Amino acid sequence: MRAHSISKKRYINEAISGYAFMLPFVISISAFIIGPLIYAFIISFKDFSYLNPSSSHWVGFKNYIGLLNDQTFKRALLNTTIYSLFVVPIQLFIALVLALVVDSDIKGKTFFRVAYYIPTVTSTVAVSVIFLYLFKADGLVNTILSKIGIHGQAWFNNVNFALPSIMIMAIWSSVGNYMVIFLAGLQDIPAELYEAAEVDGANKFQRFVKITLPLLRHVVFFNLVVSLIGTFQIFDQAYVVSGGSGGPLDATMTVVLDIYKTGFKDFNMGYASAMAFVLFLIILLLTLLQRLLFREEMY
Amino acid sequence: MGKKFLSIFVVTILLIAALLSGCSTKQNTASSNNNNKTNSVQKQDASKPVTLKLGMWSSSPAETKIVNDQLAAFKKKYPNINVQIETIVGDYMQKLQTEIAANVAPDVFYLDSMPAPQLMSSGVLEPLDDYIKKYNVDVNDFEPSLLSAFQWEGKTYGLPKDYNTLALFYNKDMFNAAGISEPPKTWEELKADAQKLTKNGVKGLVLSSDLARFEAFMLQNGGSIYKDGKVTLNLPENAQVLDFYTGLITKDKVADTPQNLGGGWNGDVFAAKKAAMAIEGGWMIPFLKDKAPNLNYGIAELPEGKQKATLAFTVAYVMNKNSKHKDEAFKLLEFLTGKEGQQFVVDSGLALPSRKSMEEGFRAKYPDRVAFIDGAAYSYPWQFGLLGTKVSDAANKASDSLIMKQAKNAQEALDNAQKQLGQ
Repeated sequence: MRAHSISKKRYINEAISGYAFMLPFVISISAFIIGPLIYAFIISFKDFSYLNPSSSHWVGFKNYIGLLNDQTFKRALLNTTIYSLFVVPIQLFIALVLALVVDSDIKGKTFFRVAYYIPTVTSTVAVSVIFLYLFKADGLVNTILSKIGIHGQAWFNNVNFALPSIMIMAIWSSVGNYMVIFLAGLQDIPAELYEAAEVDGANKFQRFVKITLPLLRHVVFFNLVVSLIGTFQIFDQAYVVSGGSGGPLDATMTVVLDIYKTGFKDFNMGYASAMAFVLFLIILLLTLLQRLLFREEMY
Repeated sequence: MGKKFLSIFVVTILLIAALLSGCSTKQNTASSNNNNKTNSVQKQDASKPVTLKLGMWSSSPAETKIVNDQLAAFKKKYPNINVQIETIVGDYMQKLQTEIAANVAPDVFYLDSMPAPQLMSSGVLEPLDDYIKKYNVDVNDFEPSLLSAFQWEGKTYGLPKDYNTLALFYNKDMFNAAGISEPPKTWEELKADAQKLTKNGVKGLVLSSDLARFEAFMLQNGGSIYKDGKVTLNLPENAQVLDFYTGLITKDKVADTPQNLGGGWNGDVFAAKKAAMAIEGGWMIPFLKDKAPNLNYGIAELPEGKQKATLAFTVAYVMNKNSKHKDEAFKLLEFLTGKEGQQFVVDSGLALPSRKSMEEGFRAKYPDRVAFIDGAAYSYPWQFGLLGTKVSDAANKASDSLIMKQAKNAQEALDNAQKQLGQ
């Protein structure tokens, strides 16, 4: 009886100190993430402007219904989807290849690891400005193209090339991040498995398909989710390249850029919040879908 | 046990600190509320020093210097009013919006003509009419088109601090080489001159696909963009202009966009001598001085169509409705836009003084820049009511679609733009 009460007391003590440790985090996350999230959800049902919050009023689903007929928003969704469809697979494929390269016993692998990772730690705005110079009408890319007889154009000012140019930039600048995660996954795979397979006479390709890929599955899933969320949130590159307009002709208009413009340029924060929740819903659904697809063999 | 005690102790301290900081802000707001109530009493007591916050952006060190000099002179006149500058870096309206919402916006701040209607209509600015009467400010001295940009439903919310108009920059050396003696005066001359100047990879004219440039031509043609609270983008007069303007690029091939000529804006291209003419405002002058100090160029009034017209880009000082020292704030506002403050604008030559009485001084000091002042008389403010940048975005898309050959003609492109605006 006595022993029981002691253990109960101890349990409560531990719980208190546990929660006490969590509290700073819980407070900061509620104040800066969950609170604003709920607030944004509420104002997405309002006609709301920060300039005059007191005159905001409920409009029900009007903001969401308005989105259905919003050509710019539809274009932004389309652009973002296309962007995501191209960037995610290409980026992950290149990242995996790079990870395999720097995981092998090549000379100077530390140098390569650093070299591939550097673009990731460079500010995306700085990267965008550099690419603006590379891709401008008389920039480096066109100078090289003209040497082999191709007449280039102002890439970022062309309806057909503006978005692909941003894709190239995004892949280049974020591939290192995924490479590092793949690398960590690769190094987690026990060397005995490869040795055993080698003894059994499996060649390099067989080892890769039968051992590396299955054991890397959870890392692939993680990268896929993070990369997908990241691509759906693309903003800074599109903002810098188009000077904030999403042009030419909405070719680089992404969902987050549209949200930004609506909220901060047109002072329509309620409508912008509705857009943000549609984006949230899309990302949530895609993530759940991926979970479902990967579930069977995940563990 | 000791370790555990220590950790709980640390966490508790952290917690208390967090709670206290939360409390202290509450106390602050409570005391500031008190201030508000006792404000009227304090106002009479002129001897008590007050501190005002002045919100601005800074396009260049030269601009910061003007404001600093102005404030030094202000301090001499009103030793009891301290002014603290808050320079907003990055997106000005984004920052200002959140500051207004959080009730920490500056007492007096810069406001561009474009977003002005949004702020005036939402009641976050203090109407200045009573103060103008009380301190007997001569508002008729301001260029009427500039002042009108800061008036809403019969009230005045801001006094313009300076402005710039669009004019034609032309490369004198290229004009001489092509045997052209003076800048074009009409659209026909503009096109003919551009034709003569287009050679050896140089275009006669650099044209940005921007309503902030081609609206001037639309106004010259008797068109309009926003009239009596309605968007009038698809008027046939506007379509004629857009066909002419984009036609210079696509059909006549005597002009091109700055992007296609390897620049970010007209200034880059004009400085790099890849175009002989550019339509820009006074902000080009310091840029060219820096980027192309030896460029031999002139500034002329815009060539005219059916009538003369140009655009005026202006910024005003406005007062925060929640300012705690409104009388002092108005004294500051009045000083900065008054003759003493405007003298610094004249001396710098960076922008034009918004008071007509100061124009003579500018003309005498900068005779080669009079085209900007001449334009003021027939200028229209850059503003589209509550729709703001939505209108310019739609119009820019229309012109983009013509330059990129995605639309058949200007009428169709402008009809689309009009439809997109839901008008």
